[in-house]
Parts: sequence; C-alpha cells; structure tokens
Amino acid sequence: MTNLDDYRIREEPYYQPVGNEVVLFEAAYQARMPMMLKGPTGCGKTRFVEFMAWRLQAPLVTVACHEDMTASDLVGRFLLDANGTVWHDGPLTNAVRCGAICYLDEIVEARQDTTVVIHPLTDDRRILPLEKKNELVRAHPDFHLVISYNPGYQSVLKDLKESTKQRFGAIDFHYPAANVETEIVAHEAGIPTGVARTLVEIAIRSRNLRGHGLDEGASTRMLIHAGRLVAKDVPLGMACDAALVLPITDDPDMREALKDAIAACI
Amino acid sequence: MIDQTPFTDLVESGLVGDPGNGSIWRVLRQVLSGHQLADWRADLARLQASGLGPAGLEAYIRATVTLAEQRGPLAALALAPCILDVGRHAGRAAAAALSEATAPALRHLGNQRDFRDWLDAVAELAAQGPESVAPVLARADSLLAELGAHGFRAWVLGGLRAGGGDPARRLALFNLSDPRAFDLFEQAIGDIGFIDVERALKAYLMALFRQKPVIRAVAGTPGDTLQRRAGFARQFVQVPARMRGIATSSIRKVYRAMLAHIGAHLVYSGPRFEIRRLKPMQVALVSLIEDARVEQLAMRELPGLFRLWAPFHTAGTDGGVTAQDLFARLSRALIDPGYRDNDLWVTKGRQMFFAAREAWTDPAISRRIGNLLGNDLGQMRIQFNPRTYRVEPLYRDDNSGLWDTDDAPPQISDEQDVIAETVRIDRTQDIDGEHDLKSSTSDDDAGRLAARDLRADDGVPVGKYAEYDYLLGRERPDWATVLEYQPQPADTTLLDRQVQGYGDVLNRLESLVGAVRVSRPARLRARTEGDRLDLDAAIQAAIDRRAGLAPSPRIYETTERRNRDLSVLVLLDISESTRDFVKGSSTTILTFERIATALLSQALSDLGDAFAVAAFCSNGRDDVRFHPVKNFNQPYDRDARARLAGLRGGFSTRIGGVLRHAGALVGAQRTHRRLVLVVTDGEPSDIDVADRRYFVEDARKAVQSLAHNAIDVFGIGLDGVGTPYLGRMFGRRNFVVIDRIARLPDKLPLLYMRLTS
Repeated sequence: MTNLDDYRIREEPYYQPVGNEVVLFEAAYQARMPMMLKGPTGCGKTRFVEFMAWRLQAPLVTVACHEDMTASDLVGRFLLDANGTVWHDGPLTNAVRCGAICYLDEIVEARQDTTVVIHPLTDDRRILPLEKKNELVRAHPDFHLVISYNPGYQSVLKDLKESTKQRFGAIDFHYPAANVETEIVAHEAGIPTGVARTLVEIAIRSRNLRGHGLDEGASTRMLIHAGRLVAKDVPLGMACDAALVLPITDDPDMREALKDAIAACI
Repeated sequence: MIDQTPFTDLVESGLVGDPGNGSIWRVLRQVLSGHQLADWRADLARLQASGLGPAGLEAYIRATVTLAEQRGPLAALALAPCILDVGRHAGRAAAAALSEATAPALRHLGNQRDFRDWLDAVAELAAQGPESVAPVLARADSLLAELGAHGFRAWVLGGLRAGGGDPARRLALFNLSDPRAFDLFEQAIGDIGFIDVERALKAYLMALFRQKPVIRAVAGTPGDTLQRRAGFARQFVQVPARMRGIATSSIRKVYRAMLAHIGAHLVYSGPRFEIRRLKPMQVALVSLIEDARVEQLAMRELPGLFRLWAPFHTAGTDGGVTAQDLFARLSRALIDPGYRDNDLWVTKGRQMFFAAREAWTDPAISRRIGNLLGNDLGQMRIQFNPRTYRVEPLYRDDNSGLWDTDDAPPQISDEQDVIAETVRIDRTQDIDGEHDLKSSTSDDDAGRLAARDLRADDGVPVGKYAEYDYLLGRERPDWATVLEYQPQPADTTLLDRQVQGYGDVLNRLESLVGAVRVSRPARLRARTEGDRLDLDAAIQAAIDRRAGLAPSPRIYETTERRNRDLSVLVLLDISESTRDFVKGSSTTILTFERIATALLSQALSDLGDAFAVAAFCSNGRDDVRFHPVKNFNQPYDRDARARLAGLRGGFSTRIGGVLRHAGALVGAQRTHRRLVLVVTDGEPSDIDVADRRYFVEDARKAVQSLAHNAIDVFGIGLDGVGTPYLGRMFGRRNFVVIDRIARLPDKLPLLYMRLTS
C-alpha cells in the first residue's frame, strides 16, 4: 500500500470563498457524499479542492482525465518486473484503499466506458471490483470522490451519462464577482489592485465573446498569468497579448477584436 | 529645316491634314527608329484601310505622339493593334474613341505594364461587350483615377461576368446607370473595405458593449468625393462600404472608431429626441452634445477609447469662424482636456458640459445645453448652412438615429435586401457558433415577409456566398445567392418499387451495416502501452530476460472499439442534363440518382450516421437552387422519401455556391468526421458566364475552403470523360467516375461504406 503522505497538503492554499461552497463541501465530506464541481475552466475548482483537502487534513489524489484514459489507468494493471508479473494499483485504487480524497479533474474528457468504473464507489456499497486481480476492494471510511466538470463543451459524445450525473451532488462555480476577482488576481499575481481591476475589466469584455467567436472568455487563471507578467515589468498590453489573446484563439479576426477591446480598456 | 519627307506624301495624299507645325513629325523622328517609323507608317495605312476615317486617323497620330513622348516607341506602336481589334469588334466610333482616351488615360497609367494592361482590358471589353466600349472610354479619365490599371481590369471582368451575356444589362452596368454597378466598382478598387474588417469589428462591438446590431455596408457613388458618414436607425446600423481618401493603413482605425461611437450610442443614448420646432442648427448642436455625452460615458468604462477617438479631433483656433468650424472646435473642447480654446462660445459650451458631469447619464442635458448654445450662436448671427453641414470628425455618425422623424428611413426600402441582409447576418452567427441556421428571416421581418408576394416558386434566400474568379485571383464577396426551394412531395410507390428491384444490393447492405454497427472490438497486440499484458509477448520477454537478452517493451495488449462518429450531406445534381435518358435504357439519369440515394439513405438510416440529403441546380448567380430532401434532424421517413420522389430536374449546375452552403450546414455538426458527398452528371456551368473553367476553379476553391474547416468533400461523377475537371474540383483522390450510370444504385452505398469504414 502506498504511503499517502506525499499527497497531503502542507500549506494553506490561497482561496477566496465566493458563496457557501466551503460549508457545503464540508457537509458533503462528513457524509462522504460524492461531489461534482461544475464551472468553466480556470475559475478556481481545483484550487478549491486543494483548499478543502488542507482544511479537512485529508490527502488528495488528483487525476487529470483525458480521452485516451482507460479504466486501467484509474484502477491499475499488471506490470512485468524481474520476478514476473506484479499488480500495480492505479491512483483511484490507492485513494480507495488508503482513504484519500480522489479528485477526477475534467472528467468529461474521458470516454464514457472509462467513467463507469466509478459507479460502484458512488452508491451505498462503496466497493471497487478489480476483476483482473479477482479482488473486491472495500473503500476506506475516509475515501471521498470529487469530480470536476466543465459544462461548456457540450456535445452528444462528450457529456456525462445521466446515470453518472445522478450519483453526485453539485456545486456551481462561476468567475467571481468583479471585486472578489480583483482581490484574487492582485494577491496571486502580486500586482497593485488598480492593475488587477483593469485586468478584470478586460476579462469581462473577453467573456462577452463567449459564443460569439470564442468558446470561452479569459479565465481567472489567465488573468493571474497576465498579472504575473506585469509584476515582472512586462508592459500591460504585451502581457495581455501573451496571456489573454494568443492562447485562446488563432482566428485572426478574433485576435484583432480582442486586442482592440483590450486597447479600449487600458 | 526639318526633313518632312517621310510624311509629305501622307499630307499630300490627304491621309492626314497638314498639322502646320512640325512638332509632331519632330517627335516621331526623334523617338522612333527608322525601322519603327516604317512600322508606324504601315500601321497608319492599315488603320486607314480599316475605315477609321480622317478624324480618327488624326486622333491616332496625336495619341501616338503623346505616347512616344511620354512612354517611348514600343508603347506608341502598341496602340494600333488594339485599335484594329476594337474597331473589328465594336466599330469605328469606338476605335476612334480609344485614341481620344489615350492621353487622359496616360495620366493614371504609371508605367509600361499598366498601359499594356489597360489596352488588354479594353480589347477584352471590345471582344465580349462591344456595346459598352464607347461609354467606358469616354469616362477613361475618371475611371482610371478611381481604379488604377489593375482595378480597371478587375472592373471590366467583373462587369462582363455580371452582365451575363445580356448586352443591355452589360451596358447599364458599364455606363453606371444600373445601381449594381456601384458594388462592382467598389469591389474592383481593391482597398480595404468594410467587408474585410466586418467580422473582427462585429466581435469588437460585442466584446465592448454586448451589442450585436445588424450592420449594412452601403456602397458610395463612383466619383463621389464626399465621404459618407455611418448612421444607425432602429435596429440597423449603416456604414460606408469603402472609405474614400483615407490612407490604407488608417482605414481599420476609422471603422473601429465609427463602430465604437455607434456602440456608445446604442448603450447610452435614450429614446429619440423629438424635433418639435427646432431649427436645423439646433438639431445639429443637440446631436453634437449628445455625441460628446455618450462618448464620455463610454470612456468612463473604457478609458482606452480616448486614444481611439481623440486623434480625429484636429480643429484648431487658427481656422475660420463659420458654424462648421466652431462646431469642430467645440467637439474637440468637449473630448480633449488638453485643448485650449479662447473663443467665448466654445468656452461657454465646455463649461456647461462639464458642469453637468454628474448628470451625464441623462440624455435631456444634451437637449438643454444644445438649445442654449444654439440660441447664442443665433444671436451672434453666425450662418449655418444645413445643406453643406457635415458631422465632424468623420468617425461620428450622421445623427439620423437620434431624432424622431415621421417618415420611415429611406434606407430600409428594399425588403428583399433587408431579408437577404438579415439572412447573411444569421449565417455569420452560425459560423460564430450558434447552431440554429434560420433559413428565412429574423423575427422582426417575419410578418412583413408573409404579407409580401414571394416569387412564384417560393425560393427563400438562405445565404449569400463569395465566388472565386480565377482570372482575377480573388473572391468576390456575396456574389452568389442560394435560395432554398421546398420540393413537392410525390407518390412514393414507384420509387419504392424501383428500390425493391435492387434486392441483392439491399441484402448486401444489410449485412454490411450489421457488421459495421456491432463494431466488433479489435484486439491490438504487442503494444508498449495497454490495458493488460499480452501473455505471449510477456512470456517471451520474461524468457529473454532470463537469457540475459534485452526484453521487448511491447508486452501489452488493448482492445480498440471503433466508434462511428460522422455526419454526411449528400448533394444531388438535378440540372437539366439529368433528364436525359441513359444510353440503352428507358430510365433517366435523375431516376438512377434517386434510386441510388434511396438505397444509400436506407443504409445510413440503419447505420445511425447523421445524414442529410439535398438536391441542387442553378439559374444564374442570383438563383442558386438548393432543394432540401432531408435535414440532419429529420428522420428518413415516408415524407422524406416523398420529397425525394418529387425532385424534378432543370436549370444549370453552379457547384461552388452549393458547396459553400453545404459547408455551412455540415459545419454545424459536431461529429469527428464531416463529409459532403456530391453526385454530379457533368461539368459545372451556368447561364451567365460562358467560361466553363470559371465554375471548375470556383468549385475547387469551395472544396478547399471546406477542407479548411475539416469537412471532407467527395465527388461522384457520372460523366465518363469527366476525370480532368473532377480531379481539378475535388482533388486527385477524392472523386470517382461511375460511367455506367445504371450501376449507380449498386455502387453508391457500397462506395459510402468503403469511404467511411
């Protein structure tokens, strides 16, 4: 069994609550109720989970989900070593055995036949069958399952099955209100409040284009990136270009529109 | 004494009048070598023989002298062949006009190349549009001033295309009496027009103000030196299609300032002011204050707009003191805090405006301050001429949207235009990611549309698409209009019976579909990564290790499940030629197409692939006909089969526009693969352009633009000799020729299965 001490969070992560999410999550954790964090990318879901793990003093195992992920990536597989075959637990199995919080980030990216693996863990049984090993792992009482889910990229294929969705309670995450976001950006990037405020204004303009040429506007994380560049004495316009415009679109018309809109805000 | 011997015989024979002074001959002798001089004389003789007449000959001589002086001997000698050409096609008057036009044209033809291009363009015009040569040459000076040599050629070619073989229509276009001529003109100019910045600026407006108005670009009149202003009225915004007299590098900035200003109005201006008994000067002043007010409010939120707008305000205290000047100075004083102006009236206006700073959100202050200032100006007896007044600076709108007038704005008179415009906007929205393609009109206009008498066969415009002219090397935006026609449902009994006749194909398809659908998982062995150990490979690796050899890392195996994730749009050519009977049978090509499509649709329906079926033909560029048989979200049911049975052949084949429209429809599908399958029976053609290659090249461009959006296009040609043009249109490996058309129903569905496995 792996020592999960490596997964404990030592220092308090900076997190600014926007609503009642902290209270809600704590209650869900007490009940070991599986939780789903819904919201656009870069608005603080992962940071929130880290904060809660620190607060609850629980180890946190994070898995970044992607389309090529198979069930064995989560659950484990046989490997070949000098002595023959040996079973190696996957991150999910580790968390289940040792009682950690298992956080599946961007679960919608994984294929649906992979995500069904978590079903037996999310109902009363709290078991994880390892068929290849012929073992039934019963979850540690402290095991808690959390997933994150970005509802923006809707598609018939890339959506959670109804049967999966209904096993979770959910917390909605949005970009924070302007003052809160300003504070977050100022703190995380180490820049004065005025500059942070300008960045937030720019983000609002960029988010207006969601669905009108952009899939997503600028996220809080991107603002922090831009802020960090500014803190290193990069001119604001250039920092915005690098962190807010160029990464999210290659369309020359959209880039032009964003750059002009940024120029109007500065 | 100048030796005039080479020319005396000409004078004596009466070929040319005695010019009196020897300057003409002197120039010719200086510039032309002996050989060239002989050529020139020969040309002269030929021109005379062609019936040019003394006046014409004289004009020719003068023209060659000018050319010889300014451009050298080769240019001088190039003129005669062109005159002969023009004369042959368009008559003597036109030929004479060419000489007359040379000198004024030269002013705008900078170099040898430009001059040749111009001559070539005129020759082309003479060959294909002889009736239009004279009016074009009469205006050569002003046309070339606007267009330049390259633009002139583009305009001539565009006019020939648009004229479509109809001399009367051509003439109307070329002598600028047809309003469409202006569009052509503007497109030929080649500078950045609104159309080039439209998409970026619309996004800009959305980002800054969350506004998405309908924007129309209005073409100006050729030769019109006054630069139009933008304007907004109800839900429409108008901008000039082109900016005259603005450096190319600044055009984007001007459009941006225009739209930002209008955006400020849309957000901050209130209900329209009532004119009541205001005089024109007061109206202008109230508008000016209102402009300043909305700009200040916008700048509070978006401080960078100051840097966008302020540079346009260039009024200074050294100008005159007409109303126009004072207004400009006041405008500047209201936006630019660093501007010093000592005029009492301007200062008063500035003080009043800024004193009302707290109340800027109230539109009423514009009226109040504007009235007061207007009274002052009246008392100062400053003259205001409403007819010559222009809103300054040029990025500001004409204020028509601020005032409540009783008569409907003249811009919204042409309903078809409105509908087409809204449709175009909807299509653009579609590309931006909103997936419902409205095929008719916006909600506002729906009522108007119902009342209006649509054309007899009810074609509804669903989009305007660009078309590529390979001679120009450029696309003409919004050139072809696609109209959707609902096919008449017909009885399906015959079609069903015909389909049943292909029993063996049906069986084969069924088993194929079954195999594909179960999508048996494939076992992939000996991989470096996988779900589980490949036992054989693992054993071998263990053995190798014991033997002291390096074990292979490929010891895993995994199971791959192929998912079918594609959408396909089937396009059927139903042009006139499909009504022909297939050789050796009593069935038409269209019938075979129909049966084949029915079989394919059945297979697709069983497979579960998303698919749509449509038929196309065309009747000129304004009537590219699109007949939807089945949309993506409709089931393949009895109604769909009835529509398939009801397709009737006719008209021509203008593939490019259809492909682009198909691309817009398929583009909205979010599957991994998107495919457009085109069944065509012959080379594309249409009634308005004689050059077949034009359509082939345009189709090729359309296919490429679809590929750019990750949409595959595959062509199925029914023309046995079609390989060259099919390959050109679809690409070497993306087409197939089925020359025994009777085999189409067998081959089409199987081809599809092969393509998509």
